Amino acid sequence: MLENLAFAIIIILGLMLIGLLVIRPALTTARGGKILAFIAFFILPIAATGFGTRIHLEHSKSTQFCLSCHVMEPYGKSLYVDDAAYVPASHFQNNRIPREKACFTCHTDYTMFGDLNAKMRGLSHLYIYYVKGAPPKLTLYEPYKNRECLHCHANARSFEERSPHKEMRDQLINNEMSCLACHSTNHNVEQLDKARMWKGPNA
Amino acid sequence: MNEASPRLHRKLKFAGCLIMLGLLIEATTLYWSQPLSFLGFIGIGGFLVTAGIAVYLLSIVDE
Repeated sequence: MLENLAFAIIIILGLMLIGLLVIRPALTTARGGKILAFIAFFILPIAATGFGTRIHLEHSKSTQFCLSCHVMEPYGKSLYVDDAAYVPASHFQNNRIPREKACFTCHTDYTMFGDLNAKMRGLSHLYIYYVKGAPPKLTLYEPYKNRECLHCHANARSFEERSPHKEMRDQLINNEMSCLACHSTNHNVEQLDKARMWKGPNA
Repeated sequence: MNEASPRLHRKLKFAGCLIMLGLLIEATTLYWSQPLSFLGFIGIGGFLVTAGIAVYLLSIVDE
């Protein structure tokens, strides 16, 4: 929110100053005018582009952003399946993940460069989507890592104390056994037609 | 030295127009939360702003 306000102020200030200097370029003859021109033509546009990039990167974490590509629509729909066995749906419907950042929360590598990697992949998705064409069946780049689940579940009482998590804790932490080995019902987009759907929180 | 040439003024006007157009495009793209708006932001808005800054810097260096 603060970034949006800063961006708006910079844009308005920049447009006003640049407009003034475009109308009256003779102002740049004086020393003060030169400084003003440097601020208007250099500092403010760079600041505006920086803030704008940050706002766009925040937008790119939103569920709405991911679902704006039509190939992702079934995955968005799968979040509304009325069946607790569907892991993404139960997380989404029960607020275990923020609904407005549902895709990003579970599909970002929680590593030092996880965010950056996700953005780089996002750019390649743009190329694939608009230039090459999306493949008929979407697959993950690599097998889903437990780290993405344990980012939230590790240290949670339900994970640490409940069987069978308790007994296989080390295997799960070390990714020797996948969480998906047991929690195997995920988006299952092929079976969406048969599934009963939740109407949403305001239904 | 204090008398700026009309040529410099023309270049500053040109740089200003490029930057203003770029900033307006950048601001407009923020209304949408879609991949294409990000491309518009970087590809068109960012390009125009960068070009405007380059024209401005080159014009003051030339002067």
